[in-house]
Amino acid sequence: MNLSFFDQFMSPQLLGIPLIMLAMMFPTLLLPFPTTRWITNRLSTLQLWFIHLTTKQLMLPLNKGGHKWALILTSLMMLLLMINLLGLLPYTFTPTTQLSMNMALAFPLWLATLLTGLRNQPTTSLGHLLPEGTPTPLIPALILIETTSLLIRPLALGVRLTANLTAGHLLIQLISTATITLLPILPTVSILTSLILLLLTILEIAVAMIQAYVFVLLLSLYLQENI
Amino acid sequence: MAGHDSGSQHQFTGFQKYFNSYTITGRRNYVIATYTSIAMLILYFKLRPKKKTPAVADK
Repeated sequence: MNLSFFDQFMSPQLLGIPLIMLAMMFPTLLLPFPTTRWITNRLSTLQLWFIHLTTKQLMLPLNKGGHKWALILTSLMMLLLMINLLGLLPYTFTPTTQLSMNMALAFPLWLATLLTGLRNQPTTSLGHLLPEGTPTPLIPALILIETTSLLIRPLALGVRLTANLTAGHLLIQLISTATITLLPILPTVSILTSLILLLLTILEIAVAMIQAYVFVLLLSLYLQENI
Repeated sequence: MAGHDSGSQHQFTGFQKYFNSYTITGRRNYVIATYTSIAMLILYFKLRPKKKTPAVADK
């Protein structure tokens, strides 16, 4: 079967039945199930330590009202992290390469932070649209600019994640194709290309983790301004 | 914390009491005023009566 370079991004389906929900739920199957034991095994302890670390980091700059968001932000972080990392395995589908999924995550959460701010502290939320100390002639222009930057946030959130992951996967595919194709022709160049592939894979592992963290961090920042 | 307001040191009078770029309420009022002006502009251009040009008969 001849695969084009974009087949890896096609939403999986089996005989017309979409499997995207399965692809999204799958990472949770790999996590240990909570037990009633106080001290569990190494994997559970590791998972707990990691979740504590990320939750503390995220909740540090937030006030008490923001701590209500701990569950959703931490679980979002774990989901994105697992989806991104699992997608680096060969022949796996990465749901976060789909713009539709990332926008579905980014837009409602950003809107929630915005509406929280407008509801609980409307003066502060509206006042933030004009930076302090702006010279009078610049005020209307700056308000429009700040409004635009506010409205573009969900788009940026979604597209950032999609673009980073899609580009990374595509690069890996291109360079691995180059490596395989060059092997019978120019073995030395092929070895160099495989070295590049190794470095790129390490980079992609880092990018997968960083992008998940950045997504959640930015949401917590938007929340900070509004809560 | 974001939203630090140093407006307590400023003593504004008149127009600047309500519209200034230092206090949080002043900034809010500027924002609301800008949004309202834009809304008024849009409404004006939408609702103004369209000029009717007389029909030209083909010869």
